[in-house]
Amino acid sequence: MTVSDVLLLGLGAVAVGAALLVVTTRHLVRAGLYLVVALGAVAGIYLVLAAELVAWVQVLIYVGAVVVLLLFAVMLTRAPIGPSEDLDRPGWPALLVGGGSGLGLAALLVDAYRWSTVDRDQVGDAQRLGTEIFRSWVLPFEVLSVLLLAALVGAIVVSRPEVGRARPRPPDRGER
Amino acid sequence: MSYLDSVWLLIAIPLVSAGVLLVLGRRADRWGHWLGCASVGVAFVLGLSYFITLRGQDDRSHSVDLYQYMPVGGLKVDVGLLFDPLSAVFVLLITGVGFLIHVYAVGYMAGDGGRRRFFGYFNLFVAAMLLLVLGNNYVMLYVGWEGVGVASYLLIAFWYTRPSAATAGKKAFVMNRVGDAALVIAIFLMFATLGSTQYADVFAGVGRLGEGTLLALGLLLLLGACGKSGQFPLQAWLPDAMEGPTPVSALIHAATMVTAGVYLIARSNPIFNANSTAQTFVVAVGALTLLIGCIIGCAKDDIKRVLAWSTVSQIGYMFLGVGLGGGAYALAIIHLLAHGFFKAGLFLGAGSVMHAMHDQTDIRRFGGLWRYMPITYGTFLVAWLAIIGLPPLSGYFTKEPIIVAAFEREGWTAWLFGWAALLGAAITAFYMTRLFWLTFHGPKRWTDDIEHPHESPPVMTVPLVLLAVGSVAAGGLMVSALSVTDWLTPVLGEHAEREAVMPHGVITALSIVFTVLGGALAWALFRNGTALVEQPAGPVVTAARKNLYTDAFNEAVFEKPGIYLTRALVYLDSKGIDGLVNALAATVGGGSGRLRRLQTGFVRSYATSILTGALLVVAAFLAVNYGWLS
Amino acid sequence: MSDLQLPHINYAALAPMLILFGAACAGILIEAFVPRERRYPVQLGLSLAGVVAAGVAVITQAGTRTITAGGAIAVDGPTVFLQGAILALGLVALLFVGERSLEAGGPFVAQAALIAGSEPDRRQVVRPGATEVYPLMLFAIGGMELFVAANDLLTMFVALEVFSLPLYLMCALARRRRLLSQEAALKYFLLGSYSSGFFLFGIALIYGFAGRVDFAGIHAAALGSDRSNALLYGGLALLSIGLLFKAAAAPFHVWTPDVYQGAPTPVTGFMAACTKVAAFGALLRVLYVAFDRVSWDYRPVLGVVAILTMLVGAVFAVTQTDLKRLLAYSSIANAGYLLVGVLAMSKDGLSSSMFYLVAYGFTVLAAFGTLTLVRDADGEANHLSRWAGLGRRSPVFAAAFTFLLLAFAGIPLTSGFTSKFAVFAAALDDGQTWLVVAGVITSMVLAFPYLRVVVMMWLSEPAESTPTVSIPGVLTSTGLAIGVAATLVLGLVPAPLLDLSTKAAEFVR
Repeated sequence: MTVSDVLLLGLGAVAVGAALLVVTTRHLVRAGLYLVVALGAVAGIYLVLAAELVAWVQVLIYVGAVVVLLLFAVMLTRAPIGPSEDLDRPGWPALLVGGGSGLGLAALLVDAYRWSTVDRDQVGDAQRLGTEIFRSWVLPFEVLSVLLLAALVGAIVVSRPEVGRARPRPPDRGER
Repeated sequence: MSYLDSVWLLIAIPLVSAGVLLVLGRRADRWGHWLGCASVGVAFVLGLSYFITLRGQDDRSHSVDLYQYMPVGGLKVDVGLLFDPLSAVFVLLITGVGFLIHVYAVGYMAGDGGRRRFFGYFNLFVAAMLLLVLGNNYVMLYVGWEGVGVASYLLIAFWYTRPSAATAGKKAFVMNRVGDAALVIAIFLMFATLGSTQYADVFAGVGRLGEGTLLALGLLLLLGACGKSGQFPLQAWLPDAMEGPTPVSALIHAATMVTAGVYLIARSNPIFNANSTAQTFVVAVGALTLLIGCIIGCAKDDIKRVLAWSTVSQIGYMFLGVGLGGGAYALAIIHLLAHGFFKAGLFLGAGSVMHAMHDQTDIRRFGGLWRYMPITYGTFLVAWLAIIGLPPLSGYFTKEPIIVAAFEREGWTAWLFGWAALLGAAITAFYMTRLFWLTFHGPKRWTDDIEHPHESPPVMTVPLVLLAVGSVAAGGLMVSALSVTDWLTPVLGEHAEREAVMPHGVITALSIVFTVLGGALAWALFRNGTALVEQPAGPVVTAARKNLYTDAFNEAVFEKPGIYLTRALVYLDSKGIDGLVNALAATVGGGSGRLRRLQTGFVRSYATSILTGALLVVAAFLAVNYGWLS
Repeated sequence: MSDLQLPHINYAALAPMLILFGAACAGILIEAFVPRERRYPVQLGLSLAGVVAAGVAVITQAGTRTITAGGAIAVDGPTVFLQGAILALGLVALLFVGERSLEAGGPFVAQAALIAGSEPDRRQVVRPGATEVYPLMLFAIGGMELFVAANDLLTMFVALEVFSLPLYLMCALARRRRLLSQEAALKYFLLGSYSSGFFLFGIALIYGFAGRVDFAGIHAAALGSDRSNALLYGGLALLSIGLLFKAAAAPFHVWTPDVYQGAPTPVTGFMAACTKVAAFGALLRVLYVAFDRVSWDYRPVLGVVAILTMLVGAVFAVTQTDLKRLLAYSSIANAGYLLVGVLAMSKDGLSSSMFYLVAYGFTVLAAFGTLTLVRDADGEANHLSRWAGLGRRSPVFAAAFTFLLLAFAGIPLTSGFTSKFAVFAAALDDGQTWLVVAGVITSMVLAFPYLRVVVMMWLSEPAESTPTVSIPGVLTSTGLAIGVAATLVLGLVPAPLLDLSTKAAEFVR
């Protein structure tokens, strides 16, 4: 048991525990906040594994952007304070499905690796990742920009306000 | 280059004519029917010239590959034609009888607005049928097979105003699909075991096949043949198909298309010769169907229905023949040709009667017609005597040898099938005499609207007379002067003389006596006409009226479970998985309730089923990995 | 700091994708700078030109066998053939998408997110539709081109997303029945992302096994790796789930009927034809290039999936009363037949599957194209009962549709027969008899739903409410003519295309 083993175990426990709380709590906002904890713990695991860039990207994008977006969405749509009773659905099918898949995958991975070890010779810093991306994965990387462009266009198509009207009525009628 | 290389013209001419008729539409209304006739007539003349050329050749088989159809790996399928004695005979039958039907239809369909379209389908049918018999491999045969199927649905559906026509078309489709599936699997089986579907390769390779494969092949081909030829257990569609439209299209189902099954088995004779179990199945199917057909024929009152069941029964004789093997193949083909003549005569005669009687088809409402339509009467008389098999008409020369051949089998099956064939002959005489007598003799039982029936126009009676001449002469000629048996030997094998369980003379005498007895019984019963409405009857007659309960059987065994299965699936499709999830989760959101009315299925239930599937697939892969399955 | 060495990039090999993505970006600029009323012709012309130019670029690559862009792209026979197929089918789909004479403003709306049935939503029914659909379509086609050429799992995943995302969006744009359309798009999006998750997890497991994600590396590792085979099989299972979802194979087909029904009909045709080509192209490459060494192990499993797919498609099709749903189930069954060809695991299997994809694509495009023509006041009339007696009202139209249905049913002299025959023969050659028997039987069952439509059209009395068949515009007529002609020609003389696909049937590793 090295220090990193202990850290990994601890962070893993935090991640799983927080994830359980996300699905069991009746407070929508709290669920979002537990998500921060869970995703943050995963970022911690990356750090322990010396994948520093990935860890910070995780923090920036998931903890920073995604959860914030989620919380904003909750606030803008219903903004509940206190527990939401309609979230109370029988949980056992979900437990069966989620627990089953989780345990199954865990068993699969444990069985696959057993006690074999993997050398961790290089740290995952920004330079190494950048080199990899622009050497081996330059094409997928560039195509990702196309994907983002398509997503951008799609977001506009789906969500833009009413077009093609010469505004016969003032915009404060709530039609926009 | 041989003259026979151009044999593809036979198919192309009717096909082009069909294309012209169907594409030009109303513009071809005025002359379309004559084009239709001419194309088949030309094909007949051409077929005759090929026939003569083939006769003059030493090598009585000409195969020509037109172009490569499908090169799939080891399998090379070509569009190739084979002109040999067997296909030559069928070409003459199809184009010859087909031409006469075409000419007759010009008169019969004169008052019909859709005559041009009818001729278009008709030409299409002839082209497909020619392709079926001219192909030099099983794939070409299958292409023609489906082609006649499609043309046949179109013709059945031609009278689409009648709901019965629609039902008949559906039934024909269903039953044919069963047969087609069997044929396709047989073709793939040939490919899998022999690597080819060419007749020549398949027949050369039969010796390499195991018993089980041969039996499977034989049974699959038999099932395919049963579907197309309306044999037990797929017989129900055929009479219905003939009931729908006119006698003209009914004739397709009597004289030409339904013989495709007989052709298939005769063509595949090396396969059947190599496996006696498969042959026994063919014989059994033939014997059973011939009895079913003639028993039901006795109980029907609709002139076309009687003829329809009689067709089923006569094809049963042909199956009996091709199943007996050896020389009986040729006998079955000869019976098929003779049947083409007299059944055509009967159907066209029936059409002529219906023409005169304002489309009345109930034989209880005919009677005494001989005085009013002498030509129809005369030709019908000849065809009647031919079908019941009295010498010297053609039925005698073609049916009686099949009965003899049945008695030539070995062991107790000779008695079983021989007597079945004899009994069939007697019943055939009974129901045909009943039909004939009730239609043309006895008291008039006409409906009130008929004042004075009239003979049909020459365009209809001339084909009738020609067919009657054929019915008289064809059988004897084919057996003696033309020696069709010898002509077919290169394809179907030598006729080996075998010992029958009874002397030939006795069998011949018995068959004539049985025939006369059956006819006499019918004459005695129906000499003075019959009741105008259906009378209560004993269990046997009731069963026969209900098609021996075969329809009820089909309904109970196939239709009902099918309907229940479909209903269950509809339920599952619309709410099954949802219902399942709802029962588990017991809540449905208010908003989703509105969606539910619009479309089925929630995303979450879809996701659940995807996940379930995924778990199963992963489990299966892991099972393979850990060797749980082995 | 070491020098960054860029991989060599063969731009000629990438040209088809570059042209399409370039045209799509140009299309976005057009949206920004060209006046609204002139956008439609410009966008349509640009898209058609882009697809044709990409097609030319593909043709120049015939015979190329190379791996380029740092191992991300493999250009070989199957790539060129399938890219060509996608472009040809995409061109026809684009014709249907671009049709504006059937309905004022085309089959799309400008704002997909308006609440269905609300007042602004009702207003937009009569206004011209979004022209963004053209760049989106080009993105999708470009993504598919990349998908069939991808030589490692990561590129394949990116390509999967690139072509999926525009499809999700296009599903939401139907002009009529807005709620169904929105629902379809959302369902497709959620389930598509879900299945992408499986795919991604599969990549992770495979990486755990092989330490690489390129196909040659996986192929080499399959021979012997110091990791447990459980990772390999688990990963392959999850990968194939992701791909089978796109291919609409059971039990991952559940989205298909709803999405096909809800999406605008031209988009449905595009999905049925092109997505199928892309999904099966990728599946072929994954199975034939990366995992061919374990084919004996996964064949039985995928064989069961194939049989299940054929059964589900055929049996459920029988119960359908909506034509789009019927065609959806038919497309599921066809995925099963394609799997039969894929599982032949031979050169013939590859070539016949590719032939099947082309043949089926043209037929299904034409079929959905005809659906766009039968309309009443509320848009397309897709319920089966509404088609009663159409054969009498519009015989030419009904005859063409009947011909297409006969092709679906596999009647000879149509491409449906030759393509089914080809895949079954290939599977049989390889000893997959059980698959062929199941295929033949289900294809016979599948003939009934088609027959029901034919009977409905020809044998029923036209009702008062029988919709009319609109006169198709130039674009739709051209598309229909191409589809029907391809169905006929590939049924009569399939040999040239079969030869071509056989010649192309060799992957580069």
